[in-house]
Amino acid sequence: MHSRRVVITGMGAITPLGHTVHELYHNQLEGKSGAGPIFRFDARTFPTKFGSQVKDFDLAKHVRDPQRYKEAGLNTKFALAAAKQALGDAGLLDNNKVDRTTMGVYLGSGEGSHDFPNLTLSIALACQADGYKVDPNGFFIHSQRTFGATHEYEMEMHTTSAHVANEYDMQGPNYTCQTACAASGQALGEAREFIRRGEAEIMLTGGSHSMLHPFGVSGFNLLTTLSTQNDAPEKASKPFDLNRAGFVLGEGAGMVVLEELEHAKRRGAHIHAELVGYGTTADAYRVTDSHPDGRGAIACMKGALNDAGLKPTDIDYVNAHGTSTQVNDRAETVACKNVFGEYAYKLPVSSSKSMLGHLICAAGVVEMITCVMTIHNGVMVPTINYETPDPDCDLDYVPNHAREKKVNRAQSNSFGFGGQNVSLIVSRYTG
Amino acid sequence: MAAVARRAVFTGHGALTPVGLDSNTFFTALCERKSGIRRLTYADTSALHCQVGGELPEFKPNNFTTNKEHRKSFNKMARTVQMGFVVSHLAFNDAGLVVGKIDPDRAGVVFGSGMVASELDDLGRASRVSMIGEQGPVSQGIWGETGLEEIPPLWMLKYLPNMPACHASITLDLRGPSNTMTQSDAASIMALGEAYRILQRDVADVIVVGGTESKMNPLSMTRHNLFQSLSGRNDEPEKAHRPFDRDRDGSVLGEVAAAIILEDLEHAKRRGAKILAELASFACGFDRARDGVLMAKLMRTALQRAGANADEVDHVNAQGLATETADRWEAKAIHDVFGPKVPVWSMKANIGTSGAAAGAIEVLGSVMALSRGELPPTLNCDNIANDCPIHVHTDGVRLVTKPYVVKLNFTDRGQVGVAVLKRWEG
Repeated sequence: MHSRRVVITGMGAITPLGHTVHELYHNQLEGKSGAGPIFRFDARTFPTKFGSQVKDFDLAKHVRDPQRYKEAGLNTKFALAAAKQALGDAGLLDNNKVDRTTMGVYLGSGEGSHDFPNLTLSIALACQADGYKVDPNGFFIHSQRTFGATHEYEMEMHTTSAHVANEYDMQGPNYTCQTACAASGQALGEAREFIRRGEAEIMLTGGSHSMLHPFGVSGFNLLTTLSTQNDAPEKASKPFDLNRAGFVLGEGAGMVVLEELEHAKRRGAHIHAELVGYGTTADAYRVTDSHPDGRGAIACMKGALNDAGLKPTDIDYVNAHGTSTQVNDRAETVACKNVFGEYAYKLPVSSSKSMLGHLICAAGVVEMITCVMTIHNGVMVPTINYETPDPDCDLDYVPNHAREKKVNRAQSNSFGFGGQNVSLIVSRYTG
Repeated sequence: MAAVARRAVFTGHGALTPVGLDSNTFFTALCERKSGIRRLTYADTSALHCQVGGELPEFKPNNFTTNKEHRKSFNKMARTVQMGFVVSHLAFNDAGLVVGKIDPDRAGVVFGSGMVASELDDLGRASRVSMIGEQGPVSQGIWGETGLEEIPPLWMLKYLPNMPACHASITLDLRGPSNTMTQSDAASIMALGEAYRILQRDVADVIVVGGTESKMNPLSMTRHNLFQSLSGRNDEPEKAHRPFDRDRDGSVLGEVAAAIILEDLEHAKRRGAKILAELASFACGFDRARDGVLMAKLMRTALQRAGANADEVDHVNAQGLATETADRWEAKAIHDVFGPKVPVWSMKANIGTSGAAAGAIEVLGSVMALSRGELPPTLNCDNIANDCPIHVHTDGVRLVTKPYVVKLNFTDRGQVGVAVLKRWEG
């Protein structure tokens, strides 16, 4: 066992169901959905016309000088806001008593969004009417004139974690990973490693993403992974239900402050919970589908238990990846049964994505925050829109209504395109 | 954690570079002062500020495999992803690893990768049919209704940054940890650092560490010409990228992929692998002030973790971006730690700056230097700049005389990674 224990001392969230951790959790307890018609762009002709969006977000409410980030992507803006909450919660904003070189950042975060009008026009003007070939020189001429240099720069993926570290003065390790839908879960697990090794005392970690732009929705629509239930967006995400037909694209950010236990105690920080287990694997199967027997998912869930030194029956609640796609929910159910055996039928497994939609890179951390709140409040969030049981998905998904249960340890799964698997275990902190 | 820290060694490598499509050709070319920087040929770039760069000479992924399934899968990969795939296999084979002969659950992959730009032709018809009239604009409404159907269905999967690592994990059966770092010029040195931590925490024995990036496509090229400091020396391609030189005027872009096998020492010994060098330590941080103070501190930390003194360092393998600010920043930090005498080497004049691939190819270069005992020269540093008070190694091939190498990479924002490599002495 590691001698250095890692605890959570701060949390922050900007999500479709609220701009604080409290709102995020309580709206889930009420079974609310964040989904609605897309307002980020005019999606009325797209196969999917709805998403789960962050509402009424104003960066000026969160940072001193929002003008500095005028050209930054939404992912960076969400990250800055969520980071401020988490650091504030941990008492680490402008705190000169903490050596800033021992505070790092590890994000699982995505890219900014392309300038759709100018990119597509630059291509269209350089493309023959009867073909698809684009003349590069014509493209260069138009794009050089119309693209904004700062916008293009701010799309780059290293800028988000750099802005966060710069804004809040964190000079320790600074990492960004991009493993699709598993990214922020993986960030938490690897960030913990820096603290365990003694290379940092504090890591701000989590993720941020918005793919609710024309190219993002186009890409997912082409893969036919999004629900197209346009007449009832709030009913569209129905993980584990027989009639599930794709996920709902969400956006947002979540951040947690991980801290070495003794460091947290010395400065009298409030300890929310302890991050005790992390497992990560690759399916090594296919780019498009997860392994049908849940091979990688099983290995990473077992890996997390092993890392935590826990037995399967020590877990009281699972916050599933639960995307509401046919393949994921079936494979995840198979994996839970393999890992937990008979106990799987007694173990509540619910999906925050039924309410939040899929926050892609930010999904893992927001679901981890939900787990921490579950431990604190003793109420598990439901899987909403669960109407028709699927014989292949026969576990207790906490259908439609939140449920009270004393939860001491929760496990949270994240799986990504390409066969990326992450599982984290969080425990009540008992000293 | 094991009572004694697990040691990590390099046991194989593979490279695709403008000066050679395998690591031996690449390293020999460096020793022979060859440059792969030319006027760009992939497109007419006359509308761009920088019209030179390092392209892979005649790269065809099918030349690297006879496996039909792999060949079929290449059309679902962007060029950057194809390159990542190829170097993963080259390194894996070079290390004498065989699928089925190692425990797949103890084998992983960590890549450095960046934004992988869409090929314009994939979006050509969609954009064209969505344009109103002959001058535009492009209608988002038409795009959603009919344009969308003109895009290949798997379009998005061709370009996700984690695809190089994923294709490596799928085709080499690597079922352990898989991660993709996306920190621009520091991405693949960060990947190496992460692989090191994974090995040391004993969840894997073998990790393919890679980096891949091709900006030789119009969308990347137009974007980088807008925001990156690139050389305008279009009439002298081979002279364009000038690390630490007083006349430096920016980077040139090169397309590169590199992979190295990082392996637990005991595992490597058990299977009789050839050991090329050791990864002695890693340190990273955020040089918020961008003045080199924290960068210097990180180099000292890395040396200390490696148990090495500054005077035991054979050379510093520098980033050498050849921009006004980056070289000054880097030189100041190197001078702070080592003074003016340690040989500093940068290979970017030969192959260009390759973003997410830079750390991997540069580590590979120093691993080869340590294992062969020869350090190639830096090109184009003809007159050391006054604001770069360091000794850049420029004179021919120099014998490696000391056991350690310090490898440094950093982003324009200040994310810094430092690896200390050690000569393998058995």
